[in-house]
Amino acid sequence: MSKTAAAENRIFHALADPSRRAIFESLTRGEAAVKELTAKFDISQPAVSQHLATLRAAGLVRGRKAGRSVYYRVDPEGLKPLTDWIQHYRAFWTERIDRLEGLLERMDP
Amino acid sequence: MTPHDKTAPSQSDSIAFDFDLPHPPAKVWRALTDPELLSQWLLPTIGVELAPGATFAFHAPPQPGWDGVVQCRFVEIEAERTLRYTWVVGELDTVVTFTLTPTTTGTHLELTQSGFREDQKRNFGGARYGWRMMGDRLVELLGRIA
Repeated sequence: MSKTAAAENRIFHALADPSRRAIFESLTRGEAAVKELTAKFDISQPAVSQHLATLRAAGLVRGRKAGRSVYYRVDPEGLKPLTDWIQHYRAFWTERIDRLEGLLERMDP
Repeated sequence: MTPHDKTAPSQSDSIAFDFDLPHPPAKVWRALTDPELLSQWLLPTIGVELAPGATFAFHAPPQPGWDGVVQCRFVEIEAERTLRYTWVVGELDTVVTFTLTPTTTGTHLELTQSGFREDQKRNFGGARYGWRMMGDRLVELLGRIA
């Protein structure tokens, strides 16, 4: 739970903001340019660009330049640190529950 | 008895188990709350005092980049029924909940670990953000981008 802590923190920080979360969720439905996102969310273009920069730094989205526009899409690997973390805890609790069951057998009634 | 992992492989916003124990709730409750017993199955504890709002810690072996400390705070204590505490590792805030239900053969125990909901964050000043805030939609999102 330590090695990827920095990556996790960037992901959680990026998704903690409701606007960024909305942008990220929107991008999971398909690629979009800054202009389209600006129109959709009623946020200024610089603000949208800033949110996208934060999402990109967290590894959650990727940009692709086409002409004058940059199109953004979700990076499927971006949430991996989160799913890894969950896998870690599933294994942790499975092992601890085994120990709990063993302890209960040994305890006084 | 093998614990049954209730978490579907695609479900990534919480961790949930439930299983039946051939022991009465009072005994299971002791294992969940007694510091000495906790150290025997979960992790060594520091400063466990069973009171709502009380803070304590679990000490896991330190690893590179992590001092091994799990910071906790009791959120809900209903003797022999519900035990809920925060489980904070570094910047990551989660909540662990044990729910005990008496059965004819002993105790049905449910264990979940999930992130803070936004409405909970207000109640706990230390919580900065949590992963549950994406709500159940994380599952849907993961499915969509896979």
